[in-house]
Amino acid sequence: MMIFLLRRLFLLGTVLLGLSIFAFSLGYLFPGDPLQNFSGLRYIDSAQREQLIMAYQLEHSYTKQYVAFLTRVLQGDWGLSFSSQQPLLKEIWQVLPATLELTTYALLLSFFVGVPLGILAAMKPNHLFCKSISGMALIGYSLPIFWWALLLIMLFSVTLGWLPSGGRLGVLYEIPTRTGFMLIDILLSDTRYQDAALMDAFRHLMLPTLVLATYPTTVMIRFVRDAMLDVWDQNYIKTAKAKGLNRLQVLYRHGLRNALLPVIRQIGLQFSTLITLAMLTEVIFSWPGIGRWLIDSIYQRNFPAIQAGLMIISTLVITINMLTEILHTFFNPLARKY
Amino acid sequence: MAKFRLYLEENNRSPLAQLWREFSRQHSALFGLILFSTFLSFSVLAPFITPHDPYLQADNLLLLPPSWTEQGLVQYPFGTDDLGRDLLSRMLKGATYTFGLAILTVLASLLAGLALGALAGMSRGVKSSFFNHLLDLILTIPSLLLAIIIVAVLGPGLENTAWAVILALLPQFVHGIRNAIAEQLKQDYVTAYRLDGANNWQVLTRLIIPNIWEKITVLSSMALSTAILDIAALGFLGLGAQAPIAEWGAMISDSLDIIYVAPVSVAIPGLLIFAAVLSVNLVGDGLKVAIQKRRES
Repeated sequence: MMIFLLRRLFLLGTVLLGLSIFAFSLGYLFPGDPLQNFSGLRYIDSAQREQLIMAYQLEHSYTKQYVAFLTRVLQGDWGLSFSSQQPLLKEIWQVLPATLELTTYALLLSFFVGVPLGILAAMKPNHLFCKSISGMALIGYSLPIFWWALLLIMLFSVTLGWLPSGGRLGVLYEIPTRTGFMLIDILLSDTRYQDAALMDAFRHLMLPTLVLATYPTTVMIRFVRDAMLDVWDQNYIKTAKAKGLNRLQVLYRHGLRNALLPVIRQIGLQFSTLITLAMLTEVIFSWPGIGRWLIDSIYQRNFPAIQAGLMIISTLVITINMLTEILHTFFNPLARKY
Repeated sequence: MAKFRLYLEENNRSPLAQLWREFSRQHSALFGLILFSTFLSFSVLAPFITPHDPYLQADNLLLLPPSWTEQGLVQYPFGTDDLGRDLLSRMLKGATYTFGLAILTVLASLLAGLALGALAGMSRGVKSSFFNHLLDLILTIPSLLLAIIIVAVLGPGLENTAWAVILALLPQFVHGIRNAIAEQLKQDYVTAYRLDGANNWQVLTRLIIPNIWEKITVLSSMALSTAILDIAALGFLGLGAQAPIAEWGAMISDSLDIIYVAPVSVAIPGLLIFAAVLSVNLVGDGLKVAIQKRRES
């Protein structure tokens, strides 16, 4: 296990190194002056230019420039945003929690809805009810998320007027930001209208979470169903049935434990899809998260922000992938390859 | 698992005929195939069958409602948009951009993936291991994010979208093909063929490719649904096809500000994207099941 962990950590290091090289090369690949792309300064006078060239080692080889870049990234100096001229890292910490909050709820929803439905669909694959679950999963799997979001907004916000169509919280409530996670912030704050604010935040969360959870839920249903059907054909299930266990016992003791193992890894894979879909969802629901921030940066040709956004999102996705893979290996001795 | 069969029927048909037999037994897959061929023919024939010029702005016919309402005209079945362009013609034209372009990108990506995957699958040792790790890196970055980054570097536009989608699809193709080849290389018949004196190229073209093409088809169908969704999503975000081009995703974002007046102009392109992706998924699922059943029989 120790060797496995070390190898994984080494791989993580290599991958992150490759990522940083790619991010560094973006400074040159993006149109415009590399110096501006790296520093994020809009206007650079000649004295400052000299100083920056010295600091960024731009007159030296690419290797030296890269080392200087890496040092800056590790020290937390990620340059400024073109549009606001604020430090990028600070901006990212302001928008990242909103995205994480949304994706976490969507992931939880997809897990708690998708897994039971998938198991149900696998129990009697030819029953009408189970077929309809698979059919619904296929439909949800094919829905373009932005259109689905618009449909839901049209129905619940415009026609019925039940739920708000965008934002995180009504403008009536003022909640001081502490963690950046809205629900936790509301619970931490000691205002009179805590309950009302909590209710309002929930109402704002509902539609985006539903939209964002649609795709992962359907993937989860299909995945669990296939895994279950696969396991159900195995000989150890036949043995378990033959020794007299009833359906539920077989399901719990032998079926689920084997079928749900790959689901752990699936969660990690889902996370990267979720982050992408979150970008679209955030744009539609004007959710102040990193996805909308990144898309806005592209409209504004804000190259330092794109670079920083890429680095932070990819690092997040890669780390979570790696973590779930380690967890999977931890629980499943068969997956350990030394 | 070999199943007990009552009648000893001999099945001597070609693999393709067997596959079609299993495929056509599934109604949903057949329905998907019909839908798929409809979209395919629309995307090829769009310039010839559009009833009006999709870019012609008829300024006396702005925001005409669809023909099933009282004020609609039968010449304009879906009505017109806010610039007086015929929606039906634009939908048909959009099939070329969203669906046709997606097929082209998948084909291009498949060819490149086949070359790289073969290179990676047939090589061993450090080269192969390095390739794997590089793929692991790129595979973890979501394809739409990768496409967005590429568009950010190249600048928005339909052509750049195509490049972005090709590059974003490439890693999964290389990965899938490499794994399929690695699996084939373990087979006994490959060893036997090698003992007959076959070189790498002969093994690849005569044994491996005929044996993995089914897997490649399934891979392509998954990639195709991703490609359609990515092209439409980029168009919707304003990073792909630009305003006048009748691409389905771009049409949705164009019509967003008139969604209250003319909901049809948002509903129909979305429905088409959905139907296109659904048809691809139905065919892909059907193929997967058919392949599995053919192997079992």
